Amino acid sequence: MSIPTLALELRLRWRMTAIAAGALFSFLLMLGALFPAIGGTFGQLKVGEGVSNLLGGADYGSLNGYLKAEAVSILAPLICGGIAVAFAAGSTAGEEEDGILSLVLAHPLQRSAAVLGKAAGLALAVLALGWVNWVGLVAAVALAGGGIGAGDLAAQSLHLTFFALVLGSLGLALGAATGQRALALGGAAGFGILAFLINGFAPLVGAIEWLKYISPFYYYSGHDPLSNGVDFGDLAVMGVSALALVAIAVAGLRRRDLRG
Amino acid sequence: MDKSRPGPGGPPPLSVTAAIRTEGLSKDYGFGRGLFDLDLEVEVGEVFGFLGPNGAGKSTTMRLLLDLIAPTAGSATMLGLDTRRRSLEIRRRVGFLPDDFALYPKLSGADALDYLAELRGGVDPKVRDSLSERLEAQLDRPVRELSTGNRQKIGLIQAFMHEPELLILDEPIAGLDPLVQQSFHALLAEVSSQGRTVFLSSHTLSEVERVTHRVAVLREGRLAVVDSLENLRSVAVQRLEIEFAESTPAEDFRALPGVREVEVNATHMTVAFEGSADALIKAAARHEVRAIRSRDDDLEELFLRFYRDGESV
Repeated sequence: MSIPTLALELRLRWRMTAIAAGALFSFLLMLGALFPAIGGTFGQLKVGEGVSNLLGGADYGSLNGYLKAEAVSILAPLICGGIAVAFAAGSTAGEEEDGILSLVLAHPLQRSAAVLGKAAGLALAVLALGWVNWVGLVAAVALAGGGIGAGDLAAQSLHLTFFALVLGSLGLALGAATGQRALALGGAAGFGILAFLINGFAPLVGAIEWLKYISPFYYYSGHDPLSNGVDFGDLAVMGVSALALVAIAVAGLRRRDLRG
Repeated sequence: MDKSRPGPGGPPPLSVTAAIRTEGLSKDYGFGRGLFDLDLEVEVGEVFGFLGPNGAGKSTTMRLLLDLIAPTAGSATMLGLDTRRRSLEIRRRVGFLPDDFALYPKLSGADALDYLAELRGGVDPKVRDSLSERLEAQLDRPVRELSTGNRQKIGLIQAFMHEPELLILDEPIAGLDPLVQQSFHALLAEVSSQGRTVFLSSHTLSEVERVTHRVAVLREGRLAVVDSLENLRSVAVQRLEIEFAESTPAEDFRALPGVREVEVNATHMTVAFEGSADALIKAAARHEVRAIRSRDDDLEELFLRFYRDGESV
């Protein structure tokens, strides 16, 4: 792995990551501050099962359900997954399209070392977002009057980190294998949206229920880490998927001609 | 130094002192685009010019040499090492300036150079500072705020700063002002005098004419000619402009040996010819000649002919 490449990735993309982290933290604080005023007002929303699945149960009557509906189910994975995809697409295909990667790889740097440096940068950025998510949730729960342990909040944040890592690694693989920024961004983001919908609606139809297993959302929140703590099986699936995608990124960049 | 040109008998014998050697090197992009059967040898210590119009295959050749793209056929060595199998070692010893040089737009020039130096395990700061001073580079501003010429200076610094044995420069003076071009040419002369090798591409003859020992011309992906400029000049068409006292018939000159073309405008005649001017001068002397002027600027025309139709000399 190239340490200079890792350091540069963090330097080039810290601002984007910090802005996203700040937005996530602020939103979580706002949610926590609002809960005492609106908690219990809505109760369990009467919505279809699919929408209820998308909202993590749509239970606004409890702090746990409220956080799941407002942050855990959509917003946190949207921010963290989105940043991971943007990070990955920019660092591989983006640099290639800009003509920078050709210059860098004309230096004594193995392509695999370059990809691994970028993947490590992505992992650190995602880890930072996961940590901010945890701190934000701890603060939100405190503002809301307590009721969820820091351990469960950490479990949810850990699942979020792994989830974002999977989407980011997909962006990395697509970017490294094709050199096309739009394909890396669009492909990984599109898969994320599709995975979200599959996770919500596939369980409603017996014939396609199995599709939920290809959705990282299933492993992110399917076993409800906010209530049940860490599910190591889910983390393993996401971790192995991310590693496999990074391996594809390495192989993809090594086997092909560079553009630009 | 090998002055031979490719001919029907195939490429010239390959020497053991080649900094760059390609054998049948090809990159076929389809639809007739790419590089085809390039046999080329650049010797150690040589400043070698690689000429051709846009799209002729110059950048493709350089990218093949640096293993940024893979050949569809043929092979190449640089500094005696196979460009596919020993690429990492080659890249450690080579400096490269790509065409249309780009860098991280948010970084300052100094930070970008720091990063590229780190990839090489560090460079001598004195060399880098000296290059920066000579090229009058602005290293403190973000790259995105720099003009093309100022970005190009950073490109040259990063190519030279580790004092490589071999420099591969794709359109190196693009965007540089004339003063900086002079500094760059002085830099090339120093590099050459130290026994290091330069392989530079250009689509303009005037750029390489000043600094190169030999040139190769690519046309539509194929090598049209490789030779020294002196040899090319000797076979280039020369032009003689003759001012006669009276109108003189062109027919008297068209049949002369070596004459390619005769244009007459009243008493003014322009004759394009190859080889000796003896017969031409003697024929002109049969008339009253008021002025005679020789033009030696037809090397450019020779190259344009290579560019246009791959004509061989």
